[in-house]
Amino acid sequence: MNEKTVLPVKNDYGYYEIRLESIGGLGANLCGKMLGELGAVYLGLNSASFSSYGSEKRGSPVKAFIRWCEQDMDLRVNSPIESPHILGLFHEAMAGKLPVTAGVTEETRVIVNTGASPDEMRERLKLHAGELTCVDAQKIAMDCKSRVNMVMLGAIVRASGFIPLDAALSLARETIGKKYPALCEQNLEGIRRGYAEGVSRQFSDDGRFPAVPYTEARDKWGYRNAPLGGVNPRFGSSVSNDLSASREGYIPLFIQEKCINCGLCDTTCPDMVFQFRPGEYKGRKAMVNTGLDYHHCKGCLRCVDVCPTEALVAGLEREHPDKKWFVRNKDLIVDQMEFEDAGPNSWVTSESFLNEKRVDGGVV
Amino acid sequence: MKKQRVLFDSGNELAAYAAKQINYHVMGYYPITPSTQIAEFLDQMKADGEHDISLIAAEGEHSAAGICYGASTGGGRVFNATSANGLLYALEELPVQSGTRFPMVMNVACRTVSGPLSIKGDHSDIMYTLNTGWVILFANSPQAVYDFNICALKLAERVKLPVIVAFDGFFTSHQKRRCEVFEEDSDVQAFVGKYDAPYSALDLAHPVSIGSYMNEPDIINNKFQLHLAMEQAREAIPEIFAEYEKLSGRAYCRTESYLADDAEVLLFLLGSSYHTAKVAADRFRAQGKKVGVFTTNVLRPFPGEELAAICKNAKTVLVGDRQDSYGAEGGNMSLEIRAALQRAGVSARVLSRVYGLGGLDFYVEDAERMIESCYDAKAPAFDYLGSYPGEQVDNQQYFAPITGEAASPGLTTCVFEDGKAVVRGGRVNETTAMPKRLAPGHGACPGCGIPVNVNLLLRGIEGNVVLLFQTGCGMVVTTAYPKTSFRVPYVHNLFQNGAATLAGLVEMCRQRQKRGELPEGEITFVMVSGDGGMDIGMGSAIGTALRNNHLILFEYDNGGYMNTGYQLSYSTPMGAKSSTSHVGPNQYGKNFFHKDTPMIMAATNIPYVATVAECNPADFLKKAAKAKAYAAEHGMAYLKALSACPLNWGDKPNTERRVIQAGVDCCYFPLYEVERGITKITYDPEAAGKKLPAADWLGMMGRTKHLMNERYADVVQAIQNEIDHRWLRLKARNDCELL
Repeated sequence: MNEKTVLPVKNDYGYYEIRLESIGGLGANLCGKMLGELGAVYLGLNSASFSSYGSEKRGSPVKAFIRWCEQDMDLRVNSPIESPHILGLFHEAMAGKLPVTAGVTEETRVIVNTGASPDEMRERLKLHAGELTCVDAQKIAMDCKSRVNMVMLGAIVRASGFIPLDAALSLARETIGKKYPALCEQNLEGIRRGYAEGVSRQFSDDGRFPAVPYTEARDKWGYRNAPLGGVNPRFGSSVSNDLSASREGYIPLFIQEKCINCGLCDTTCPDMVFQFRPGEYKGRKAMVNTGLDYHHCKGCLRCVDVCPTEALVAGLEREHPDKKWFVRNKDLIVDQMEFEDAGPNSWVTSESFLNEKRVDGGVV
Repeated sequence: MKKQRVLFDSGNELAAYAAKQINYHVMGYYPITPSTQIAEFLDQMKADGEHDISLIAAEGEHSAAGICYGASTGGGRVFNATSANGLLYALEELPVQSGTRFPMVMNVACRTVSGPLSIKGDHSDIMYTLNTGWVILFANSPQAVYDFNICALKLAERVKLPVIVAFDGFFTSHQKRRCEVFEEDSDVQAFVGKYDAPYSALDLAHPVSIGSYMNEPDIINNKFQLHLAMEQAREAIPEIFAEYEKLSGRAYCRTESYLADDAEVLLFLLGSSYHTAKVAADRFRAQGKKVGVFTTNVLRPFPGEELAAICKNAKTVLVGDRQDSYGAEGGNMSLEIRAALQRAGVSARVLSRVYGLGGLDFYVEDAERMIESCYDAKAPAFDYLGSYPGEQVDNQQYFAPITGEAASPGLTTCVFEDGKAVVRGGRVNETTAMPKRLAPGHGACPGCGIPVNVNLLLRGIEGNVVLLFQTGCGMVVTTAYPKTSFRVPYVHNLFQNGAATLAGLVEMCRQRQKRGELPEGEITFVMVSGDGGMDIGMGSAIGTALRNNHLILFEYDNGGYMNTGYQLSYSTPMGAKSSTSHVGPNQYGKNFFHKDTPMIMAATNIPYVATVAECNPADFLKKAAKAKAYAAEHGMAYLKALSACPLNWGDKPNTERRVIQAGVDCCYFPLYEVERGITKITYDPEAAGKKLPAADWLGMMGRTKHLMNERYADVVQAIQNEIDHRWLRLKARNDCELL
């Protein structure tokens, strides 16, 4: 412990940088903190870790940043990591939707939680270049009752090529073992298997996919054209958000012939997914459930729980690529609209309570 | 030197760690991002038995500052932490603390001040404190947050002034860094020493009057004493830093500079940006350009002389301000540095750049841009860095406005017949025809109860509505710029001021209708608040209720401050764990009973009070319609729903309706209404044979599951007794119209 590590590569500032891209609830934040601590306490490095604060809710996109340099050097930069040496992607559904691979170069080692092969994954990510490691962290975590973040930590340690596995295991024993001794061994197993089971392939800059620069998000409204005072005249505009990415594998399936149009689903859905229209039911005029707008469904399955006739049942999303009961929001007056991928947003900026739940072993 | 230990911690963690090592007597606080974690970490350590500080969660920052003041008059050590609007809400307490000369330490994790509301870091809050008579230290790294917290207390007690330790919100408060702390708490305690307060309200042998009323010859003398104390602090700061260096090995001065000695261009930046700018200076030095950077670690007393001395050879000084003193052509640091240079006869050109507002990241390239403008003779003296004009926007609307007519299908109505409110309709299936005033695509967590409850409420309110949300999850998830989920007019004001704000709007509507400026016609004004908003906003809500303004106040009670990471609210169930009521060897969770807000509101004698729950949707719709009728005819209506929070209740999103049902069935959240003073239970789980023990409900949620352990049996029994007691009193009221 605390032996000085020599960093294999450094950027212009002399830093070795890691960026984790995830959705809330998968533990990327904790993984980032652990990597930061690994650097500071176990690798004898100067170390900083921070997150993209303001979006910690379950299902919302989050980033964690880790910056290392040699111990006798100051860490002066506080801005987000633009071009990481290691990029961890915790949720494969983010591929192709959000600019998660921004700043990746041939030098970058990209680790993705996926069951797919590096070749398949490169296509889906439109990955410019870099060494791509695929590890089925979700499956491994379920197998050994660990968590995605522990498996990813193992895979990241391996991909780095210089972090000793023992250091990561000691750290996990310290952070998890002390507080939750009963969960320690299964999480160590998760790290070990993540370390062992990644499949890697190097992709050169072969011109197939362009490099994506890291840019700060900017809105179109600027000081010349934004309505004064932050007033927002575009009423109901959140309808153009597509929240599909916040689902965790399951969706409600709608079996219309079983539906008695009781309307209970519409009273429990937080996301206004159900499209009731005037129609006919059993020969009478009635409000009829005509389907679901899945753009806004976050997969909470409240509707499945209240449906008295099993007209709504839980299904695995990947088994239902074509949903014939998928209808558009009935109130829209535009013919076409461009959806923007979004996650739940919030200000959750604390960690102490959530950590207790995050290090809980078992499936995510 | 005393033994140090390496930690990997954030500024907030280190502020809490220093407070724990000092072992303050009292901390009064109120949660506000990004400083909340300080109280959270202290609560965790308290649960684990690591300190004895009384941690008092106030119902707002004004009261938190009051608790701190009161505690400090008792001769002990007092601590607080806040940010942004919390700091401003507490502001009037600050000159009292300093003017009456009671030392304490307050951490300010700096954040931008509303509005529009944003939670990220800049310096617009801390600059409001410059004239309060507090010493203000500004820490530019997590390590400095720790060190300054220890020095601050010693300083405060030496000069008898309160001290703020300020630092960048998020950049410093949340970023974890390798840092060192004293291995032994006793070394910290020995450094700060014992405090022997000259005056104490608890010294019965020497009675003193604290808080005199003063006339005109006296105030100026009191303020001159304060001025002298500030000058004493100017001398004491370097002394204390020197003493501290001997123990810790870490040296601090009032100011810091980098490559400044021969610099022709100097950049001044406060906080974490100072370090980033050093990288830019290195890059310019590599090109042979003499560039340096400097900063201050102290805002009050302002070290103008030292800062001017750093600038004496510079041709151009650029001051980066992370806030603006609008109309003054510079933020406060610009104004102060300009004044200091003039006084010292330094003739350097001074440029001001407002940057990094609302947490806008500060990249090395930004610092380079600042330096470049110093080499540009035509660069404007004052400018903003990072603002942009915007680009063409397609402003097509997605929906048609919801007309009063479209929202009045007559499916849920309430009219007064012979003075009695009669509700018709309110059927769950038919009312799916009601247009939804809330659009989908909002950012609530999967399974969140807030949109469920707001939709049920608005479904029962036909006609035109205007909404006001108090700060909370409901507001945050619906209005993330540049989008909004509201399809009807909506207003958000400060956290605690919604009821007053909406009352003002109601009155404006009445006036403008009376003057013929607006068409006649009924609008239902609905305020939506969480239970947190009903803590800090209780005064405003009661004031509005006592005036009986024509509006509906709807409370969604998820039992905690969920949008800031679940700190306890007064409505959190007893025994529940939260980030400010941890469970540990010394603590079982929240240690007092849930607030009975409907009964408080009923005591104001407003015409209609009711509780609603999503598990009884038809009852919900009918009560919403009744509230509308009462708001139109008789004054204020108050409705409260128990609202699920899967994230922080620690249960599965799909089960929430069952959890709510159990909350109702165990009589934790009984359904009833108080209509013109007459109480009626609208759903009696006892009569329906469905009454559950409270434990059945508590065991369904992760936040209270620990109570199922035998060792907490007495806590569960106490909760059950309280629920039974409230239920029996409610039944008595139900049975007797006079109660």
